[in-house]
Amino acid sequence: MSKPEFVYVTYIKTTPDKLWEALTLPEMTKHYWFGAHLESDWKAGSSWKIVFPDGRVADSGEILECDPPRRIVIKWRNEWSPEHHAEGYSRCTMQIEQADGAVKLTVMHVIDRETSKFIEAVSGGWPKILSNLKSLLETGTIALQAK
Amino acid sequence: MRIPEFVYTTYIRTTPDKLWHALTDADFTRKYWMDCTLTSDWKAGSRMTMERGGEIKNDCVILESDPPRRLSYSWVSIFDEEMKKEKPSRVTYVIEPRGEMVRLVVTHEGFADDSKTLQSISTGWPMVLSSLKSILETGKPLIIDPAKDA
Repeated sequence: MSKPEFVYVTYIKTTPDKLWEALTLPEMTKHYWFGAHLESDWKAGSSWKIVFPDGRVADSGEILECDPPRRIVIKWRNEWSPEHHAEGYSRCTMQIEQADGAVKLTVMHVIDRETSKFIEAVSGGWPKILSNLKSLLETGTIALQAK
Repeated sequence: MRIPEFVYTTYIRTTPDKLWHALTDADFTRKYWMDCTLTSDWKAGSRMTMERGGEIKNDCVILESDPPRRLSYSWVSIFDEEMKKEKPSRVTYVIEPRGEMVRLVVTHEGFADDSKTLQSISTGWPMVLSSLKSILETGKPLIIDPAKDA
């Protein structure tokens, strides 16, 4: 039985450094995370969280690995949905690689359980967020607005 | 058991009609599809070929065509001796307007468990669909050489 996982690859016309900034700077993340932003000092062992526009914590966890501008691994738990929270910690890896005239971003989100509503939920969310991220870096504006 | 398939969702700032054109116009496909040209009359039952450098790489038959909402075709990768022997797989595009945006879901399914084609297309689709989003939003495709992305 394979574990629940979500894997998404997108190619973006940008540089690894600019993509790194977009993934880690709070003022950048809020542009494409539907108003929420990510907070961390991005060092291994440091705390990490996603904060909704109204200040509530959406998700929280810890930076497991951080190697700018190449790789981030986050220990990640949902905080706003009791059902998702109960599933415990997931693990999200973001990998940045130069690929010719573009930068390849791979996002892999996994959880060590047989089934997962949380991974199901992020499988719907990541394509929206990563489509917005690509639009933001290539055109300066996002594609999808918050509902 | 995980189903051997590939599913990719992307959101593009365009219209369903422009996206349909981008998926089906031979000259337009060549601009963003890693130098591939897709040629067909896009009617159910018709053949569609994906050609690069004068050589047909993938041989397809249109299964469903409902512009600008849904397109489906069978797919055999004939450029590779092993993949050529696999049963035809199936690609389905579902296009849905979402405000100023269009959601495109590409599902490629119908593979055997140990399919070599599945490995190949899982690498290829993110490049093609990223380049498609770029050309529709910025006017320029991405330049990615698949051979360099091992």
